[in-house]
Amino acid sequence: MSSTEQGTSSAAPAEPTTAPESAAAPEVPESFYYVHGKDKVVHKVSAGALQHSALIHGMISNLGYTEEQAKANPFPFENIDGDILQMVVDWCNQHKGKPTPPEDTNLPKQKEKLFDLVLAVNYLEIKELLTYCCKQVAMMVKGKSPEEIREIWMIPTDAEDEAAEKEAKKRAGKEAAGETAAAAGDAK
Amino acid sequence: MPSIIEMPELVLENIIEVSDFKAVLTLRQVCRDFRNFIDDLNDSKLPDSKFTKIEIISEKNENKILFDFLDTEDSFNRIEYSGMENSRSFNKKIINLENSNIVDVAIRDLELILKFQKSFLECLSFSFSDFSTEDDSSIRNLPTKLYNMFHVTGRKIKTKKFTVKAHHQFQIMSVLPLADPGTLEFIDLYSLDDDMEVEIDEIAKTEQWKKAKIFRSEFHLLNANVEDICHFSSCALKTSSITARDLDFLKKTYISFSTFEISYFELKNFNENDEISNLWGPASESQWYFRMKDSEDKILRIVIRQDYDIQFDIVKKSEVRNGAIVHNYREN
Repeated sequence: MSSTEQGTSSAAPAEPTTAPESAAAPEVPESFYYVHGKDKVVHKVSAGALQHSALIHGMISNLGYTEEQAKANPFPFENIDGDILQMVVDWCNQHKGKPTPPEDTNLPKQKEKLFDLVLAVNYLEIKELLTYCCKQVAMMVKGKSPEEIREIWMIPTDAEDEAAEKEAKKRAGKEAAGETAAAAGDAK
Repeated sequence: MPSIIEMPELVLENIIEVSDFKAVLTLRQVCRDFRNFIDDLNDSKLPDSKFTKIEIISEKNENKILFDFLDTEDSFNRIEYSGMENSRSFNKKIINLENSNIVDVAIRDLELILKFQKSFLECLSFSFSDFSTEDDSSIRNLPTKLYNMFHVTGRKIKTKKFTVKAHHQFQIMSVLPLADPGTLEFIDLYSLDDDMEVEIDEIAKTEQWKKAKIFRSEFHLLNANVEDICHFSSCALKTSSITARDLDFLKKTYISFSTFEISYFELKNFNENDEISNLWGPASESQWYFRMKDSEDKILRIVIRQDYDIQFDIVKKSEVRNGAIVHNYREN
């Protein structure tokens, strides 16, 4: 479907932004960029769709890549799983140049996926999608008790946490003691 | 799975912002990381509690403090602090406070809850039992400790109406400064003791008093000065007496006070009827009428009744008693 958009270079209505730099945009055919995640699967995404991501938008606005250069240099997001990046790309395509609705019900219901998506979206700085995701996260625990929330989000109790911390401190303490001893040795 | 607690700050902030008030209070109880994060957040990032009414009550006989909250959906919540059990109960859940002082716990809770108050309250209400000075109940200190907490944090509660039911002047003076003067419209003082007297000087100096538009007091006010009360568009109070000169001052103020509605004074005695007749001319069955400034139809009516109560109110031309004189507006 993106290729049909590419063909109609006079697809001006797809660019409703009124920012001064895009005022001249209807003349120029839409440009595409390439991204890949941990799985190295490359996604071709239009600059219009990528505008949702403040991070990518910032990167491409300074590059001025030609189509070939863009193709040869996909943006690597090694910290994002392939399926998560796919979700992000799909969302950006679906909401390209459109005002975002107040709710989004197409987000993953599975908490692992949702949390991964939250991290990816936060990293890519996609403000609206982050708000939807956070709403979804908040909905997971709406009306639940603290105990239930701990279970849903797999959070240890303070007592468990303290025990773990003590253990970590003990270890860190030993290491620090070793370091100071070494530093003292260096000073001499 | 990524841990929610290790999520970037912006993500956690977003989650808190889109949660409702009760959910955030629950999140605080999940673990200390959440608690610290929420407590360190700027108030503006917290969701609105949407309370319309908060009532704070101390009960001597049951040795209890009660906090009652009503929100825009008319749902009612009560937190109860028992001095006898040294416990807090909320939502049928009772927590033993062990060695903590219940007044301190209650005030800390209130401080936290008020961080979520974005819209203004319709009514903030206090009701204090009669704790005598030798009473060693810890609850006796509630008004003073409330005052101290608000004094330290500088927080003001935005409320349209402020109500105190009290036995002692210090109870009123401790909590009146909690109300935000910019929002306050109505000060309502209920007496829980028929003979209680209140010195008005100190109260009249507060910004809350100066900015309020409506005042009602069941207390017997001492040193009531007409200059201090003439800015209320509506007021009802009890005082010892009032001179003819003061009544004339009020009349002159009210006839050029376009939003004035009503004033009611319950006096112990009044014996300046002759002076009043000299100033205002003869009454028509204890009533006088004065045309309001710049108004054709609005007339200030003054009624002095035999049982020593005096009322100023606004009537229409058609409501003037037959044959009564309506005095035209005069500058002085």
